Amino acid sequence: MSSPVVELKKVTKVIKGKKIIDDLSFTIEEGEVFGFLGPNGAGKTTTIRMMVGLMGITSGEILICGKSVEKEFEEAIGNIGGIVENPELYKFLTGYQNLMQYARMVKGVSKQKVEEVVEFVGLKDRIHDKVKTYSLGMRQRLGLAQSLLHDPKVMILDEPTNGLDPAGIREIRDHLKKLTKEKGMSVIVSSHLLSEMEMMCDRIAIIQNGKLIDIQKVHDAQESKQKYFFEVDMKNIAVLKNRGIAYEKVDNGIAIEMEKEEVPNMIQLLIEKGIRIFEVKPIAKSLEDRFLEVTTQGEKLHA
Amino acid sequence: MHKLIVNEWIKIFKRPGTFVMIGLLILGVIATGVLTKIYSDKSQTVNHQWEQQVKQEIKQYQTQINELPATAVNVKKDLERKVAINQYRLDHKIPPDKGTTGWTFINDSSALISFAGLFTIIIAAGIVASEFGWGTVKLLLIRPIKRYKILLSKYMTVILFDLFMLAILFVSAAILGFALFGTGDGNNVHLAYSNGNVVEQNMFLYLIKTYLLSSIDVIMITTMAFMISAVFRNSSMAVGLSIFLLLMGGTITSLIASRYDWAKYILFANTDLIQYFDGVPLVKGMTVGFSVIMLLIYFFVFQLLAFRVFTKRDVAA
Repeated sequence: MSSPVVELKKVTKVIKGKKIIDDLSFTIEEGEVFGFLGPNGAGKTTTIRMMVGLMGITSGEILICGKSVEKEFEEAIGNIGGIVENPELYKFLTGYQNLMQYARMVKGVSKQKVEEVVEFVGLKDRIHDKVKTYSLGMRQRLGLAQSLLHDPKVMILDEPTNGLDPAGIREIRDHLKKLTKEKGMSVIVSSHLLSEMEMMCDRIAIIQNGKLIDIQKVHDAQESKQKYFFEVDMKNIAVLKNRGIAYEKVDNGIAIEMEKEEVPNMIQLLIEKGIRIFEVKPIAKSLEDRFLEVTTQGEKLHA
Repeated sequence: MHKLIVNEWIKIFKRPGTFVMIGLLILGVIATGVLTKIYSDKSQTVNHQWEQQVKQEIKQYQTQINELPATAVNVKKDLERKVAINQYRLDHKIPPDKGTTGWTFINDSSALISFAGLFTIIIAAGIVASEFGWGTVKLLLIRPIKRYKILLSKYMTVILFDLFMLAILFVSAAILGFALFGTGDGNNVHLAYSNGNVVEQNMFLYLIKTYLLSSIDVIMITTMAFMISAVFRNSSMAVGLSIFLLLMGGTITSLIASRYDWAKYILFANTDLIQYFDGVPLVKGMTVGFSVIMLLIYFFVFQLLAFRVFTKRDVAA
């Protein structure tokens, strides 16, 4: 991959003598969905606001496509499309008038482009209605449309799924996938909802108390050995021990660690031994476990 | 830049409140017109011996001047002005205005300028603060446009809005005035009193000048409201404080001026530039130059505060 799209270099933010963000450094590559995970108050929103220039940087530097957010604001921000928390739009304007407000603020956004974006987020039928009549999901979509007008290289979304119902969350996720695949955009998403991040992101940075704790690839774990849960009749289960298979007893069944390829063999074996099987499923070592592992250090948790 | 102003203009005119303001302003003109019509119909007893009446007035004013206590400087000055103008009328045989004409009505309507100013202040107070209130400031400031440009476009929109309200006031007063009271008898000279001399002025130019000069305090207070709005992000505070000062500032300042000389450094002692063209300065020794410099200083302090705070602020809400 080419040079990083977003680069944070030793970024620190001090507000009223308190270090909110402490020496944060990481990079985001082109076409990647980068998750930003941490308990409430960890500094996710502050970091994102520094990236989009809403907050000043106390020390360090943020580069967007090689341009400094502080020194070359206009050039750097031109590459960014963003939603910071819930998209607050002008309620007394229609969706279309809202988009035109933002279209006028960037050079070379044609009416055609506005129509195209409206189509993309699926708001065509309601775009000429006032925003105050929109549901939260529709506002979220309009917010997305607003950030796409100038074809940014990076999308920055702060808690994009806050307050959305499962269908809305799904929709946002699908849109983001489409954007990274079709347009090669990079996406930065913050959230405190782990399961959601797991489904969306390629890489996830975990931060706590303003410090970067860990960056992980999401799909690492699934490639190697994994635990599987077998809900079985426990009567003849001792047979497995004789065969030298390590298992642990859990509620209503057993858990065994193995490669995916071995699963059918194991099922066959169980059947041959007359053990009745009710259910088989992988126990994904979810991000949540990892997240808790990483952040449980006498800290009060939020999940 | 003009696109940013278009944006702001749209945001103002897509809200019904703005049309209520314009409606109220026109209603104010109509009310003034109707009241003046009713009132002047009763009192318009055309007197042929106007010279005698004017002489009588002069006498009356002079006895008043002698009876007044020494502290009532302003009242005295105003009476002296009236005496001088009446004397000029006698000397040059210019009869006082016979009732109301379209011209005098436009002049009378200039009292509504602070009404128009009130609405401009409301707009100025809201133009930055409401973006924070609505939360839209976040999406506004993540455009590839430097913050000072955004703030400048907002200020220019406010000034445009003020001019727009003035134009509405002037035009509606002119239409109504000429429709109700006619154009008068062609003797449309304005008598101005300045530094002890009486000067004749063209009525139309005088009116334009009056409107623009009367707007100076409105523009200054608007700038202050804009500053409060940008610094404190609180439109109710900006509206409240500014309107209080718009209504009371002059009174308080002249109260202070009757006792202390430093009153001349107060903003409101300098906003009324008409005092130099047609009247007596509030504090002895004040000149147009002094007031203009004071106004500029206040203006730049307000702007500096607004721009410094707005461009440096961390947007957290």
